[in-house]
Amino acid sequence: MVGIMNPVSREKLASLSSSVKFAIDLGSKLELCRQLKHDLLEEDAADLSEFLPSIFDLYSDPFGPVRKFATEIIGEIGVKHLEFVPEIAPFLITVLEDATPAVARQSIACSIDLFRHTLEKIAIRGLYSSELDSDLESSWSWMLKLKEKIYSIAFQPGSGGIRLVALKFVEAVILLYTPNPNGSPEPPPNEGTTIEFNITWLRGGHPLLNVGDLSIEASQRLVLLLDQLRFPAVKSLTTSVIVVIINSLSAIAKKRPAYYGRILPVLLSLDPPSFVIKGVHVYGAHHALKNALLSCLKCTHPSAAPWRERILGALKEMKPGGLADLALNQVHKINGSVEEEKDDSLLIKEEKPLTKAYDAAGSNVGRKRSGTEDSSDLAEKDEVSGKRVKATPSVSEESTKELNRDITVSQGDISSTQSSTRKVDVDTGPVQQLVGMFGALVAQGEKAVGSLGILISNISADLLAEVVMANMCNLPPTHPHTDTDDELLEDMCIVGSDTQAKYPQSFLADVISLSSTFPPIASMLNSQQSVPNKIVKTEGEEEVDVVADPNSALAYAGMAHEDENALLATDLPVSPNIVLPGMKIDLPTPSDLHDTGNLESGIPGLDSSFRNDGLSDTQAASSLVSTDIEDASQEQATSFGGKSPLHVLPSISIDRSEELSPKAAVTDSSSMVSSTATSVVSSCPFVLPKMSAPVVNLSEDQKDDVQKLAFVRIVEAYKQIAVAGGSQVRSSLLAYLGVELPSELELQKVLREHILSDYINHEGHELTLRVLYRLFGKAEDESDFLSCTTAASAYETFLLAVAETLRDSFPPSDKSLSKLLGEAPRLPKSVLNFLGCLCSPGISEKAEESQSGDRVTQGLSTVWSLILLRPPIRDVCLKIALQSAVHHLEEVRMKAIRLVANKLYPLQSIAQQIEEFAREMLLSVVNVDATERIGAEGLISESHKDSDLEKSSNEHQSMSSISKDISADVHQSETSHSGSSPSVPEAQRCMSLYFALCTKKHSLFGQIFIIYSSASKEVKQAIHRHIPILVRTMGLSSDLLEIISDPPSGSENLLMQVLQTLTEGTVPSAELIFTIKKLFDSKLKDVEILVPVLPFLPGDEVLLLFPHLVNLPLEKFQAVLTRLLQGSAHSGPVLTPAEVLIAIHGIVPERDGIPLKKVTDACNACFEQRHIFTQQVLAKVLNQLVEQIPLPLLFMRTVLQAIGAFPALVEFIMEILSRLVSKQIWKNPKLWVGFLKCALLTKPQSFSVLLQLPPPQLENALNRTAALKAPLVAHASQQNIRNSLPRSMLAVLGLAPDTQSSSQAQTSQAHTGDTSNSEKDAAVTEKPKESSSAS
Amino acid sequence: MKFRYAMVCSSNQNRSMEAHSLLKKQGFDVSSYGTGAHVKLPGPSLREPNVYEFGTPYKHMFDDLRRKDPELYKRNGILPMLKRNLSVKLAPQRWQDNAADGCFDIVFTFEEKVFDMVLEDLHNRDQVLLKSVLVINLEVKDNHEEAAIGARIALDLCEQIEAVESWEDSIDDIMVSFENKHRRKLLYSISFY
Repeated sequence: MVGIMNPVSREKLASLSSSVKFAIDLGSKLELCRQLKHDLLEEDAADLSEFLPSIFDLYSDPFGPVRKFATEIIGEIGVKHLEFVPEIAPFLITVLEDATPAVARQSIACSIDLFRHTLEKIAIRGLYSSELDSDLESSWSWMLKLKEKIYSIAFQPGSGGIRLVALKFVEAVILLYTPNPNGSPEPPPNEGTTIEFNITWLRGGHPLLNVGDLSIEASQRLVLLLDQLRFPAVKSLTTSVIVVIINSLSAIAKKRPAYYGRILPVLLSLDPPSFVIKGVHVYGAHHALKNALLSCLKCTHPSAAPWRERILGALKEMKPGGLADLALNQVHKINGSVEEEKDDSLLIKEEKPLTKAYDAAGSNVGRKRSGTEDSSDLAEKDEVSGKRVKATPSVSEESTKELNRDITVSQGDISSTQSSTRKVDVDTGPVQQLVGMFGALVAQGEKAVGSLGILISNISADLLAEVVMANMCNLPPTHPHTDTDDELLEDMCIVGSDTQAKYPQSFLADVISLSSTFPPIASMLNSQQSVPNKIVKTEGEEEVDVVADPNSALAYAGMAHEDENALLATDLPVSPNIVLPGMKIDLPTPSDLHDTGNLESGIPGLDSSFRNDGLSDTQAASSLVSTDIEDASQEQATSFGGKSPLHVLPSISIDRSEELSPKAAVTDSSSMVSSTATSVVSSCPFVLPKMSAPVVNLSEDQKDDVQKLAFVRIVEAYKQIAVAGGSQVRSSLLAYLGVELPSELELQKVLREHILSDYINHEGHELTLRVLYRLFGKAEDESDFLSCTTAASAYETFLLAVAETLRDSFPPSDKSLSKLLGEAPRLPKSVLNFLGCLCSPGISEKAEESQSGDRVTQGLSTVWSLILLRPPIRDVCLKIALQSAVHHLEEVRMKAIRLVANKLYPLQSIAQQIEEFAREMLLSVVNVDATERIGAEGLISESHKDSDLEKSSNEHQSMSSISKDISADVHQSETSHSGSSPSVPEAQRCMSLYFALCTKKHSLFGQIFIIYSSASKEVKQAIHRHIPILVRTMGLSSDLLEIISDPPSGSENLLMQVLQTLTEGTVPSAELIFTIKKLFDSKLKDVEILVPVLPFLPGDEVLLLFPHLVNLPLEKFQAVLTRLLQGSAHSGPVLTPAEVLIAIHGIVPERDGIPLKKVTDACNACFEQRHIFTQQVLAKVLNQLVEQIPLPLLFMRTVLQAIGAFPALVEFIMEILSRLVSKQIWKNPKLWVGFLKCALLTKPQSFSVLLQLPPPQLENALNRTAALKAPLVAHASQQNIRNSLPRSMLAVLGLAPDTQSSSQAQTSQAHTGDTSNSEKDAAVTEKPKESSSAS
Repeated sequence: MKFRYAMVCSSNQNRSMEAHSLLKKQGFDVSSYGTGAHVKLPGPSLREPNVYEFGTPYKHMFDDLRRKDPELYKRNGILPMLKRNLSVKLAPQRWQDNAADGCFDIVFTFEEKVFDMVLEDLHNRDQVLLKSVLVINLEVKDNHEEAAIGARIALDLCEQIEAVESWEDSIDDIMVSFENKHRRKLLYSISFY
């Protein structure tokens, strides 16, 4: 042990430990520690002893993980070199107090190792010597101190997380201190071997250790542990502590069975509800307890045995599941002895059916034979007849008693199947209760008929189906009557009775029950008489075939369901027999039948009931049958060739038995049967001795075939049932079968085909739903991935297939699909996809083009109802609808939009989503590109103008035609333009929904204004196309007003269109006018926006605006003109034509900042419309204008135009001219030019006016307009005129040389001219009046 | 991340792998196991499941099923699941056969049966290290959707556990607050290595 210290190593260690100390971050410290640990453990004891203090030193580290690591290192050193214990143990004791729980826990973990090793070492040393060295003794005393310290932690309340480990420590010590019955009783021969330490190695005389003392201490500690779990200490524990204690105790009990008797009482008395600790998490402790008890249960030690029963009881109360259940069963099997003590032990129960099966086997074969041979109800009756004489089915005391007994038997069966083979049934509590209830009711006999009826009518068809199915597995593997005649009688009663009174007995667990259940339930649902009536209707072949088949088939299925080959084999032959009577008795069996046979006593009750039903009319037919039957039973060798109805069944049963019973015994008998079936039948039932059980092992494939065939038959039978009615109840059963039978058989496919072959008549909807609910239930119920996934897959397939067929085979108006999807328990993704395709037909579905519209409607209405009915999938459905609302086909889109906007959008919960989607779509078209905006705008405004023009030219043209025009326009431009931005249809596709929403929520409209400016021209076109309809639908609302009052820049064109639409055909409201005016005044200076409301403005306001209007492009001005003059329908023209012209002339280009050209254009525009601006109008205007001071700039121009337009006005004009003369027109050079032009134009009439000019002006005039001179001179030369002219005038004219006098004359002349002018003027002013009145 | 986690379900395919994948993404030190005897995956019908041994690489299963019926296994979500799994680790591991993987601090199970089996296995080992392990059962239905939900819940719980200094002292509080938050019942037990 004494080694020479390796300096390198020491140095290395020292540097390592110091670097641990000085390392800054935790990660590197831990890394260094790890290295240190590795190196240290290589060292030998001597080195370590020197080095130990520096490791202890490490513990002073501030980091918890480092301290923990240090503790771990020290612990391992201790284990390796036990001689350090006296140093290490005190260290560990200090560490126990560490503030960091993990460090303290590490200390305990090290302690147990150390403790174990020390104990072991001391024990073994003690074996070989009576003296131990002092080192060991001191080690041991330190260990004991350490142990006590940990004990105190373990039993100290509230020491939290450390306590868990401390408790575990206690467990470990207890285990160390007590003998291990499974351990090696002798110590290993040499110290090196690793055998688990066992205290039994210690013998008396050990210097330190005394086995007795140790075990006393162990048991004391155990008591302490147990006390923790006792009331009231348990109350103060946390769940985690309880869990640990329970686990520890169960471990101790398991490993040290000697303590079993002490631990178990405590565990058993640990009442779960009572250890609700601060209301916290009982469940965990409860579960721990359960597991603890289970593990105790598995203990095979003899001392455990007495407790078994109590543990079982406790576990039952705790309702163990899963593993517990299995374990329980195992235990039952293992511990047969215990079982036997109980009177209804499971084992016995399990055996019972088996023995029965064997017993029954022989007779079964017999019966099968008779069944196949006789192939009628009589087969069974024959058997009965042989054994039974008395006991009527109704209320005889005896039968009642038997019934009771039967109930108990069947219940016994239930429990046995439950616990042994069929776990499926364990959970069907309510159903089993119902079965029991039926049983109890039936046991009361006829008294309970009413109650039974009520019970049946009140439980749902599904539940009833469950009951029937649950009952199937209660069926005893054989008929009980093989042993006891009385039981058989009972069965007969059940089968035979088709009235209400009897049928519920069917629930008494028999194959018969199933077969008889169908008709009776139907009879319950209908009236009491309905069954016989039905039978009368369908009597004969069909009836037998149809009704009997499903039942027999069902019976097969039920049997197959049992999964037990033996049962299958023995029961299959039985079923046809049983079934037949059940069915056949529905046919009136007349009394002569009973006379002939020796079986009357079994049947009379039945017959009487039939007769009571008044079926005498069917007597003939039935007697025929019965006679045959009678023959069969009497002679037992009848040819059945002619009786097809009877023939069908035997052949079936033979087939079955052949299929099902490949084994020798059965094959023999069945082949015999088949050979004799049609010809001779021996008295097999009575002759054959009981045979040993013909256990037939069917291969999987055979089973599958049988099941599938059976099911197909059942389904086929349902077709007839559907015709007969009353399938409501049965469909549940069918669905149940279809789903519960193994899915490999594709039964669901069969079922689906059945449903779809005639959806309506087969109650397809109900049946589908039942199947779906079953599958859904399975998918949800199964916790195991496999069946869960499989069922979900089956569900999906089924639903999808039905849905697709519904779509393909029904007209779109049919509501089946919608109903189905609305009521199906869950809609998987594929179905939603299917729905999506329906609503948004893709390119792939071109085939159905013609119908697609209706299909879309169908799909959408389905979606709508789904949204309303199924909140959980609302979002998905909404998505479908929304996708459809942006479909590329307009027809589809409009349908979807109508749905979304009218039906869905009003729903508060989804409005937001719809809005967001619509907005997103709207924005998507804008964000594409905005490069061609400028060009686009130009185009739009043009098209806009066009429409405007059109409107003005044809006021009453409908809006739609305008929009058509726009769209036509748009189309043209579209063809010419091809860019990256979305096309117009594309833009429409995306925006339509949003527009539709706008009509519902006007504030949304604002967004369109916002995007408008950045939209491409196609988008703008699309918008314009929508606007008229949209705005008209919306009407003027406050929201819209608000939008109008503050349009974003760039949206002027849009605004214009909106305003136009708003003012179209109606009087705009005062608010609208006000808003527009305000807008014009404040923000938007463009007078154009006022145009739509101009007709509704007061005249004086319009006059104020006139300069702006004139400034508009000519076309627009023309439109404005029309509007103004026509006005609105309600208020009449805003301005008269005269007012308009005067207003135009009132414009002063310089002052108003309007080009003269605009004004002249405006004038021209007026003159163009001669039918409005008539000569009277012009006269009036000129008359007024001429009075203005100063004269309007364009006055003379207008005069000229007037003459040009209306030559008849010349006289009037002359007067105007002479007035101008009097106004000294020459002082205005511009007008003077015009005056002269006019004079020239109107010569010779103007001569008189010219002559009124003062001579200088005349001279000027003649100088300017030379062309006037000669004619004027000629005119003046006329004598009478010449005489009237002053000299000065004549001088100007060259007629007189004197110029001075002429000027005088001129003034006087001017004066006279004035007066004459005014006279003429008066005459002229009258003129328009006349004309206006005339016109 | 101071704790070592194990996610355990029956086949080490769906629930445990979903959680494994999620926790791994979040940077947890996590492993996953199954407690079943074999790895069973749904087949064309309930009676014909695809059965593999633990240790068969996910890739192998993936290729196998894709070869068999890509349509079916895609539709029922098996192929996507396997694809996810093979990106997480090589092959499914059986809990009982991998004791050598060392000590875990927290073991999550997703089914009570599995929980019991893990506990039983832990109890059957020699508990000498006295290192506590927290076993939590979070009941999760074995389908894809629920597994995803379950994994998120497990992650949440793991984060809460990580947040405290030592779970031994505060596990009851964590459980209570968790149960109140998620309205899910938890089951836990404490065992030792």
